[in-house]
Amino acid sequence: MRDIAERLIAHEASENNSPQTISVVALLVDEKLRAHLATLMGNVGFRALLSRALVLTNAEVPWLRAVHVKGDGSLEGLEELSAQVDPDECFKGSIELLAQLLGLLGTLIGENLTLRLVHEIWPKLPLNDSDIGNG
Amino acid sequence: MKKHNNAAKRKLPKILMSQPAKVKIRKLPTGVPGLDVIMGGGISEFSFNIIAGSPGCGKTTLAHQIVFANATAKSPALYFTVLGEPAIKMLRYQQQYSFFDESKLSKAVRFINLSDVVLEKNLDTVLEKIIREVTALNPAIVVVDSFRTVVRKAVATATELELQSFIQRLAQFLTSWQATTFLVGEYAQEEMRDNPLFTVADGLFWLSQMPERNSVVRKLQIVKLRGQESVPGLHTIRITDAGLQAFSRTLGFDRKKTIQTRRRRLSIGIPELDKMMGGGIHEGDSLLVSGPSGTGKSALATHFIAEGLRHGESGIVAIFEERPQGYAERAASFGLDLNTPQEKGKLEILYLRPLDLSVDETMQEILDVVKRIGAKRLVIDSLAGLEMALAPGFRADFRESLYRMIGALTGAGVTILSTVEVEDKFTEMSLSHYTISFLTDDIIRMRYVEIEGQLRKVMVVVKMRGGNHSKDIREYVITNKGVVIIHPRRTDYIGLTTGIPTQTGPRPAQEVEGPPEPKAKK
Repeated sequence: MRDIAERLIAHEASENNSPQTISVVALLVDEKLRAHLATLMGNVGFRALLSRALVLTNAEVPWLRAVHVKGDGSLEGLEELSAQVDPDECFKGSIELLAQLLGLLGTLIGENLTLRLVHEIWPKLPLNDSDIGNG
Repeated sequence: MKKHNNAAKRKLPKILMSQPAKVKIRKLPTGVPGLDVIMGGGISEFSFNIIAGSPGCGKTTLAHQIVFANATAKSPALYFTVLGEPAIKMLRYQQQYSFFDESKLSKAVRFINLSDVVLEKNLDTVLEKIIREVTALNPAIVVVDSFRTVVRKAVATATELELQSFIQRLAQFLTSWQATTFLVGEYAQEEMRDNPLFTVADGLFWLSQMPERNSVVRKLQIVKLRGQESVPGLHTIRITDAGLQAFSRTLGFDRKKTIQTRRRRLSIGIPELDKMMGGGIHEGDSLLVSGPSGTGKSALATHFIAEGLRHGESGIVAIFEERPQGYAERAASFGLDLNTPQEKGKLEILYLRPLDLSVDETMQEILDVVKRIGAKRLVIDSLAGLEMALAPGFRADFRESLYRMIGALTGAGVTILSTVEVEDKFTEMSLSHYTISFLTDDIIRMRYVEIEGQLRKVMVVVKMRGGNHSKDIREYVITNKGVVIIHPRRTDYIGLTTGIPTQTGPRPAQEVEGPPEPKAKK
């Protein structure tokens, strides 16, 4: 799912006309996912999923330990922290978090359904069968 | 004005005569094999239904099956999840079923979680949210799963009147919006009383599962169904990889069998026995062949099925104790070929041996084959085997089940030969320990008797409904030609039915017995 996460971040960055930092783009992606997935599983469900993804990411990206998931499922502290982190590290961390979230979703509901959900949120993001299994 | 009204009144009968008076209610398919028949055609469009029952009996799966059977991009389904099974788990497990079509998700089937609204808000807000989503999507199907949690919250915070008002407004809104609705919930039977939800509902599907010794049997009852006739009673359901399958307790045949005055006589394939039966078995009859082990019941049944095949009548042999290959091999030892008809699709030998079958499932399987190959003859070999293959819970109702089964099959024009093993007592001649003789039209009894220092076999036609028959007790042997009736009735013995007859006539000269009669291969 890392490849899709990278493409999502790149796609979201290109969709925004104004130049954004990676952390802001990652937040935008998270927000879009939250809005869509909370409809499906409720805020509580999305919060649980994102919290788990964050814990899984912490092993690879220690600086993300200071980021928290709020009650409504939104991320707290990412934007502030990213200002103190190297942009490459920030990019890597954002990708890792998104990849973990999508990977977790894929484990639970299957990669096909996960990609369908992604496609619903970002219909312009090109996805095909070969994306399945890219981790 | 008054004049105008009178004119209108005068015209009214003509209008009524020229226009249909009743609204035609479209029926939606349930997507559950067998359930549409039980429901009298399907689910009434725009109806307000409850799917209730205990945990694990298939409520959510039933709701999903209905949704996926009907939802399209133009007529989508809206599935509200509330605090019951989390949506993510629902998707995880439901996609395992073959009816789950993931291409329908989001466009044709949309899931919306109401948990937060139910937890944090009141009933009015829940209703507003449902109204908002339904208005936006205009769905043809709406599911709330679990509605029980909505009610539980309401009971804790709202008055009974508020809850009743909520249910009433929800039902009215969804019907007005032309949505067919299903509220899913865990309920116990005793909760049905004085519950406004069950009063408002147009349809009530009650699912249950009952443990019986080591087996569990799932049942479905249509407790309530407005405006259409459903098949009453508890129907067996089974959950497989394909989802739910329902088996009507009437097996889809609820009309009483009509005895035709002129029915064909079918040959059993043993000419002497045909004569004893007055020309053969009546088409559409149920014949019971009873006798102890080794008397040739299966051999006689094989003659019956092979004779049908010889006349171009497709057949089914349902066996429970012997494997199909062994059955065909034994038939071959009588010179009866069952392999070629199987290859040509004229014969199916069904080997049914799981120990948790319901009669309904067994019969459905047989009925499916009857329809598929147009079978005219059926052998059930044996009833004891069928009984053993059933879940323990069904064994108690074996006679009733058998009655329905035989009625359904003979009603479909199938002629049935069932075998039943009875223990020979050498003082009496019982027909069957099931006391099922009244279920059958015709009975042939086979038994052992002691004659001239040998244990020989005799048969007698005990009963032929709708026809005269021979009263003779005839001796027979089983040779490489199968069952062969050898002697005319014996007048030199009395008490043959006891198995230990008394010789009353002259003792014939004893012949030295040659080698044993060729024995049929087992």
